[in-house]
Amino acid sequence: MSIFSQYISFMLERQDQILELTTQHLYLTFIAVFFAVLVAVPLGITITRFEKAAGIVVGIANAVQALPSLALLGFLIPILGIGSKPSIVMIFLYSLLPIIKNTYTGLTNVDRAILEAGRGMGMTNWQLMKMVQLPLALPVIMAGIRISAVTAVGLTTIAALIGAGGLGQLIYRGISMVNNRMIIAGAVPAMVLTLVIDFLLNILEKLVTPKGIRRKAKK
Amino acid sequence: MRKLSLAIFVVLFAIAQVFCFSSTSYGAGESAGKVVVGSKNYTEQMVVGHMVAELIEAHTDLKVERKLHLGGTNVCFEALKRGSANNGIDIYVEYTGTGLVNILQMESKTDPQEVYEIVKKEFEDRWNLIWLEPWGFNNTYTLAVKEEFAKENGIETFSDLGKLADRLVFGCTMEFAERSDGYPGFKKAYGYSFKEVKAMDPGLMYSAIDNDLVQVISAFATDGLLVAHKLKILKDDKNFFPPYFAAPLVNGEVLKRYPQIGDVFNRLANSITDEDMQQLNYMVDGEGRDAAEVARIFLKERSYI
Repeated sequence: MSIFSQYISFMLERQDQILELTTQHLYLTFIAVFFAVLVAVPLGITITRFEKAAGIVVGIANAVQALPSLALLGFLIPILGIGSKPSIVMIFLYSLLPIIKNTYTGLTNVDRAILEAGRGMGMTNWQLMKMVQLPLALPVIMAGIRISAVTAVGLTTIAALIGAGGLGQLIYRGISMVNNRMIIAGAVPAMVLTLVIDFLLNILEKLVTPKGIRRKAKK
Repeated sequence: MRKLSLAIFVVLFAIAQVFCFSSTSYGAGESAGKVVVGSKNYTEQMVVGHMVAELIEAHTDLKVERKLHLGGTNVCFEALKRGSANNGIDIYVEYTGTGLVNILQMESKTDPQEVYEIVKKEFEDRWNLIWLEPWGFNNTYTLAVKEEFAKENGIETFSDLGKLADRLVFGCTMEFAERSDGYPGFKKAYGYSFKEVKAMDPGLMYSAIDNDLVQVISAFATDGLLVAHKLKILKDDKNFFPPYFAAPLVNGEVLKRYPQIGDVFNRLANSITDEDMQQLNYMVDGEGRDAAEVARIFLKERSYI
């Protein structure tokens, strides 16, 4: 019990710092994932039209994902320096794959019969995409964004290694000082952040699911 | 589709909020009259990093931004070459031996003055980076074992350790495992190697030796954790490790623009001993005090600020 209260008092003592680092953390994650969505969704849509390009794009995204994050940071420092810029670029690159993949899969897995029906009604390609494919694929796309966002929160902790701040700062400093209270003061807020983001995006995912394909409550 | 546009609107609105909020604290800002101080990712570097920042703040009109705890020598060095104008840093405290062996990739030398002179000349010629006067303490690499282990086995020097080496697991930093003035060179100089080498984060080495997962660790002579964890420093009886005197390393362009920085640090030339530094490190690692506070207290006590 006393250990527990020690942690609490440490967190209270440092609450300003923890709050500041949490905000930084959220900022880095948010900007990176936002731009990832901006790039990856249109890219995912585009490659459904060019089947040959699909393999290449997904392959490149896969390769980026396979590169260890610290190695990627090592490459980025000579180009972008240190601080938030290279960190955001790193998180951005890692966030691309799940969104591209889910967008592509979501769109290509729409039932052919539904597409035929749409075409039969005289819809153009664009109308079909806007009124049929996208709404039906939206839950899958949102799931991809959710995976990216949750992964990004964890990834952002290593931004502290190149001076971008964030909750990783407490974690890494705690490790180098062999100070468990400090590690926990960084890890717990990061965990809470992950859960909150996951929860909120889950709600959003449900909200965008078209009424027609929502799972009906059990009878 | 209405729901989709609503969702998009909500997200965009949130982003706009973040941008508005952040532009104050993260925007490019005015770079005039600002110096960015860096440091590597362990306690001593945090303390000296804060000292550098405090000194500049106290004796000049320059604004100081602290980018401390960067991930290792390479990150600091690359960032220093760029300077704060290019998203890097302007100054950090480096060790002469690290400059010689690790960055310049030159043969290890034992004479402190010679090492300082070589790095001073080479860094300026190659990258326009300037070494200021060393502060006096020599944070050399060393090996440490538990005090009781040393007593039981009668170990005082690195050579003594050689007799048991094939039964011992060695924990060291990733940097030490790779550097030519680290484990690879050590093996050559002493002619033995350990049963197993486990490279890890500096802070984790102490937990590892506490829990007997490793028996020997690489350490810094001025490390406060050595005191806190009851470890014994062994003697480098073949003088393998080069001297690692700490001195501020500054980007040459920044020093030209703000020559007052040089004067600020030369007050500290040769005035901090190994014991002083170990004490300061202990205040952070052993007593859990804030590195910034420890740096400030020390500088005030000695009336440097």
